Amino acid sequence: MQNARLAGILLLTISLLSACAEVRPWQRGNFAKPEMQWQADTLESALNDHIFFSKEASSGGNSAAGGGCGCN
Amino acid sequence: MTIKQRGHALAALTISALCFTLSNSVYAVEEGDEAPDFTLPSIHADQAAVSLSALRGKTVYVDFWASWCAPCLKSLPLYNEMYHKYKDQGLEIIAVSVDNPIEDGQDFLIDTPLDFLIPADPEGDVAELFQVFGMPTSYLIEPDGTVSLVHIGFRNGDIDMIEAAIQKSLATH
Repeated sequence: MQNARLAGILLLTISLLSACAEVRPWQRGNFAKPEMQWQADTLESALNDHIFFSKEASSGGNSAAGGGCGCN
Repeated sequence: MTIKQRGHALAALTISALCFTLSNSVYAVEEGDEAPDFTLPSIHADQAAVSLSALRGKTVYVDFWASWCAPCLKSLPLYNEMYHKYKDQGLEIIAVSVDNPIEDGQDFLIDTPLDFLIPADPEGDVAELFQVFGMPTSYLIEPDGTVSLVHIGFRNGDIDMIEAAIQKSLATH
């Protein structure tokens, strides 16, 4: 009985996986909007990076290329 | 419900779940494949619907674009130049707009008029049919309907490679 319940929960979990939908390349319009970017202001973020680099003697690893449209 | 019945119900549920998960991974259009046919309404209300099969016998360049895709917007004016250069030799360009709402695409075309065929695919049905891998993706379709080039993305210099492929296609037919 215990096993059947466990199997039931497992199968139910697997069946819920069907709700995980992939966002296709042509559906990424909302991701490409300016308000979806990590950095709102390119110039300001470049300045912040420079200050961070000067203080911490480390740079990079703070952003990823691309606007989520799959073009890069 | 007995344990056996419950087992059957769960098996049915699992199978349906697996079918759902697997149905997403369909075969993408690749070089050498037959291009799937489609008919879509034009993005311009006053123009006729665009059908790929109606252009059989011509070299057709099919491009998927959207107004939110920066490299797409860079490529379209270059495609327009290419269209004027080769249309007399039998080149047709179909630039499928996947903008949703389609007004976003229309707004871009007001500032950047393009002279080739621009159908609207706001629901992405044809993009789904081609299994477009990234934006932009373009397909060079030979007069016999086979795909001879699949190009993903658009970078500086890509236009030369695409033009060479188009010239080759136009020369052999």
